[in-house]
Amino acid sequence: MRVSIEWLKQYLKIEQTPEELAEILTRGGIEVGGVEYLNKGIKNVIIGEIKTINAHPNAQKLQVCTVDIGSEELTIVTGADNILVGDKVPVAVPGAELPGGKIIETADLRGVESQGMLCSEKELELEFVGLDRSKGGILILYPDAEVGTPLVDYLGLDNYVLELELYPNRPDCMSMVNVARELGTLLGKKPNFAEWLQTDEPIWPTDVKQKINIENPELSWRYSALLVEDVVIGPSPRWMRNRLRAAGIRPINNVVDITNYCMLETGQPLHAFDRDKLKGTVRVRLAQEGEKLVTLDGVERQLDNSMLVIADDSGPIALAGVMGGLDTEVTASTKRILFESAHFAGASIRRTSRKLGLRSESSSRFEKGVDPHGTVTTLVRVAELLLELEAGVPMSFVEHKVYLPPQTVIEFSRERVNAVLGVDYSKQEVERVLESLNFDYEHRPDGKYIVHIPSYRQDLKIEEDMIEEIARINGYDRIPTTLPQGVQTQGRRTPEQELRRKIRHTLVKAGMNEIVTYSFVKKENDDLWGLRGMNIPILNPLREELGVMRTSLIPGLLETAARNAARRNLDLLLFEMGSVYWQHELPLKNLPQEKTLIAGLAQGQSPRHWLVPQIKFDFYFVKGILNQLELACGLEFTYTPLKNDRYQGLLHPGRSAEIHVAGEYLGFIGEIFPQLDAKLGLERPVLFELDFDVLYKNCKTTLVAKSYPRFPAIQRDLALVVAQNVASEAIKNRILELGGDLLQEVEIFDVYQGRPIPEGHKSLAFSLRYQSPERTLTDEEVNNLNSNILASIQEEFGAEWRK
Amino acid sequence: MFKNRERVIRLKAELEKIKKETLHKLEQLTTMEELQDLKVKVMGKKGSLTALLKQMGTLSPEERPKMGQIINELRGKLEQAWEEKAKQLEQIALAARLEGEKIDISLPGCWLPKGHQHPLSKVIEEIEDIFLGMGFTIAEGPEIETDYYNFEALNLPKDHPARDMQDSFFITEDILLRTQTSPVQVRTMEKMKPQLPVKIIAPGKVFRHDDDATHSPMFHQVEGLLVDKGIRMSDLKGILLYFSRQMFGESREIRLRPSFFPFTEPSAEVDVSCMLCGGDGCRLCKYTGWIEILGSGMVHPRVLEMGGYNPKEVTGFAFGMGVERIAMLKYGIEDMRLLFDNDIRFLKQF
Repeated sequence: MRVSIEWLKQYLKIEQTPEELAEILTRGGIEVGGVEYLNKGIKNVIIGEIKTINAHPNAQKLQVCTVDIGSEELTIVTGADNILVGDKVPVAVPGAELPGGKIIETADLRGVESQGMLCSEKELELEFVGLDRSKGGILILYPDAEVGTPLVDYLGLDNYVLELELYPNRPDCMSMVNVARELGTLLGKKPNFAEWLQTDEPIWPTDVKQKINIENPELSWRYSALLVEDVVIGPSPRWMRNRLRAAGIRPINNVVDITNYCMLETGQPLHAFDRDKLKGTVRVRLAQEGEKLVTLDGVERQLDNSMLVIADDSGPIALAGVMGGLDTEVTASTKRILFESAHFAGASIRRTSRKLGLRSESSSRFEKGVDPHGTVTTLVRVAELLLELEAGVPMSFVEHKVYLPPQTVIEFSRERVNAVLGVDYSKQEVERVLESLNFDYEHRPDGKYIVHIPSYRQDLKIEEDMIEEIARINGYDRIPTTLPQGVQTQGRRTPEQELRRKIRHTLVKAGMNEIVTYSFVKKENDDLWGLRGMNIPILNPLREELGVMRTSLIPGLLETAARNAARRNLDLLLFEMGSVYWQHELPLKNLPQEKTLIAGLAQGQSPRHWLVPQIKFDFYFVKGILNQLELACGLEFTYTPLKNDRYQGLLHPGRSAEIHVAGEYLGFIGEIFPQLDAKLGLERPVLFELDFDVLYKNCKTTLVAKSYPRFPAIQRDLALVVAQNVASEAIKNRILELGGDLLQEVEIFDVYQGRPIPEGHKSLAFSLRYQSPERTLTDEEVNNLNSNILASIQEEFGAEWRK
Repeated sequence: MFKNRERVIRLKAELEKIKKETLHKLEQLTTMEELQDLKVKVMGKKGSLTALLKQMGTLSPEERPKMGQIINELRGKLEQAWEEKAKQLEQIALAARLEGEKIDISLPGCWLPKGHQHPLSKVIEEIEDIFLGMGFTIAEGPEIETDYYNFEALNLPKDHPARDMQDSFFITEDILLRTQTSPVQVRTMEKMKPQLPVKIIAPGKVFRHDDDATHSPMFHQVEGLLVDKGIRMSDLKGILLYFSRQMFGESREIRLRPSFFPFTEPSAEVDVSCMLCGGDGCRLCKYTGWIEILGSGMVHPRVLEMGGYNPKEVTGFAFGMGVERIAMLKYGIEDMRLLFDNDIRFLKQF
């Protein structure tokens, strides 16, 4: 809502600057998004009248005009060809300034001296100002423009507009009268309103011919119509045009301007039908499937049976509350008019407007709620203006009134106000607010206040609403700061939340960088990596690439990695922990399953350093990170070759593994399938994805510390050559078994392939740590144990001892 | 008798000579090895001083103790000199070693490279910790939500104009991506009723049909809810003031502005005094001194009812803040899209 200060001053004496008003309104709950000064920098532009137009002696495209600006006649050269002798035009006289700081001086234009310049709307940064002929040329003003008057005065540009950003609960402030009421309350001043505002009773005889019938009373409670004869269509007066323009509405003609002006004034949308084009009864009804209507904007609209229309005996003539129809439009030849002032249910208007993608000043008011008590009041104002503007004679009135909601009465007590707000307002402080709101109230002997809410404040329904009124008008700053008095509680994370945090921190400590990606991804990518066909499509995605809810975190990781790689960020350690969404039915009837997954991607290597060798971010590096997760969760993962078909063709079959914990499938780790990486500009990234629930279910949250023997340990190394396909872990486990209680630890410290190891074989070196909790071991017994182990391993694994 | 005397004189002369020569050599030598050599040459089994001692037998019994005393004195003196020299040499050796082991301290250090937590999850943890400290627990709810919990239970019936404030992503007509974390309010109340207090925060992802420098189609909110007997709007102010000071600095102030949310009444927008200029006015706060950080209010009686509590017996407050906005303020990030771009160079700052 654009509120002209000049207009506001009609109702209220205002001493504050526009900025101060903006602050007062905003602190009072009516947010002002901006303050606009209407003059964008026009200085010394005077209204002139074209007296003569002659061809330029030296230039075909230029014309030489003489222009009367009251005090003198100027010779001005112009390139525009839309002007006629007698036109009123804006003249930038020498020394004038235009928006943007351009200064106009006398200039020689191809041998003719031009004493200034004729201006276009664009050069003046104005809109909706001139006659239709102004398009693409010089601004041609209405004939009522007075020669010699500064343009700024004529157009009322020395004025400010407050741009209200209204919350949906205050549609009443889409009306100048109600903004004045609100501001009056906040300033502690009573606004001055004319008499017409006090009445909602028709003052005209009932029309005997015109019938009105509301056929869907649940969608329209009241339809009032004023019938006007002897209509003379012409321009509206300058003051009305200027106020409409300040509000952002284009002046059209006196009749249309009156409907818009009254709507701005009272908030009640109006529509003017050419009565001679109406056929029979005016009906408010739902459209029938297949009906069509050409709206005022010239577009043919397909209607359906959810849309409320105004119809006559020939069919729909207007989209109720949204836009009129072209056929019954008021034109220059219109003689008789039916002014509609009706109530329509907001929800219905909202649906229709959305369905057709058609919004108007009218629909945006009805959607949010219009006071049904004001239809006749506004018609009274229409009648007054018609007479004042000599645009027509109000003759008769007709109305179908189905229902008017009773006045809201709210009961509240000062005790409750103070208890809810944590304040201590006195009787006077409470009553001062009620009075400044201009609400009728009683203070009952039991201490309760009974407040009669005026119909324009539809947002006030319950006690809490009154508590807010009292709080905001006294000012929120008066509410003190306290702390809750109730039982003290202890805040802590649930074990699940705690584990999520621990996992996140563990991965970060291990060198991984956390990313956050959108929960919606491109369907093709999710199909590839996620659970094919289980992703949930979004009905109205932002873009096609964000079309489905992800079933896996891998697509987001790959996309992030690809984007980084394109920027030459090639060394990447990324992880994400977040929800994926699995559906088991389509279309969804119940909420889908949301699962937390943890996924990561590694590629490249550690930064080059003068001292520390670079580490490759390969399968083993990632496995090492998962080892740290195992430690953090108190778990041991088992890695087995991939059996899950889902990753066939996605992961390198020789460089990937399924991960299980306590026999349950946890997830996977693996290098991407050759060539898939190149398509993304990546190089051999290693991926993993784990199911948080499985980790949570199995994790050991309590740690039991082991104690270690104080007797010295003895270490022995064992190097073996085995066939390449023998799993090192199998040997390690067997060694541990063979070593019995005294063998405390076995680690693989070297893996080697190549000469002199025979082809198809590898050398594995284990370090074995023997220790007894009770005594110091002797070399001899360790040697014996070690050679027994060696012998068994040699036999069982076909291993050869590498001395 | 005379012979004896002559011997004494000769001995003394020799002693003097050994002393002079040894001290001279001692001064000249530069290494521990030379020092050791010299010691052997003088005091060793075949050393010059040892040789003199052997001649003591030729002296008369009267002269012997005198001479012995002189030799012992010399011996003591030399040993002291040796010790001093040894110390001196050690010092020199240490100095040489220190000099030799000098490193280029300007070379970069090395460390185990750690990863970085995403700024959003960092900020969420920080917010969580502040409220955990005030006795709140953390509640969660689904990101794909029913129309009922996302709107209707929050006093936003179908076709309510306030639904326009939030453009939704729909899955079906009745299932959508939640547009706010507020549905967790009613879900939590349903679970907890009739226990008091209900004292939770609910961080999480939310989704709205929007995409520009200040809006992202997915973003994060932290919801807060406290329902109990006798909760006042002044308590809301107190809790949020404490939070703002923890989050943005001890000298912060807050101010409440009337606002509208369908699920709170009265409702308030909360501004915090600008963390950059302290309230004097700067570019960050658009020269107002205040920065809007969250929306809040007293829980609407309809919402309490739908959560299963009697609004005549209990009151409550609720608030909701945008995590992205807080992260942007905290770290001076100007474009929200950077938070979801995940450029590794950007992430490594946190």
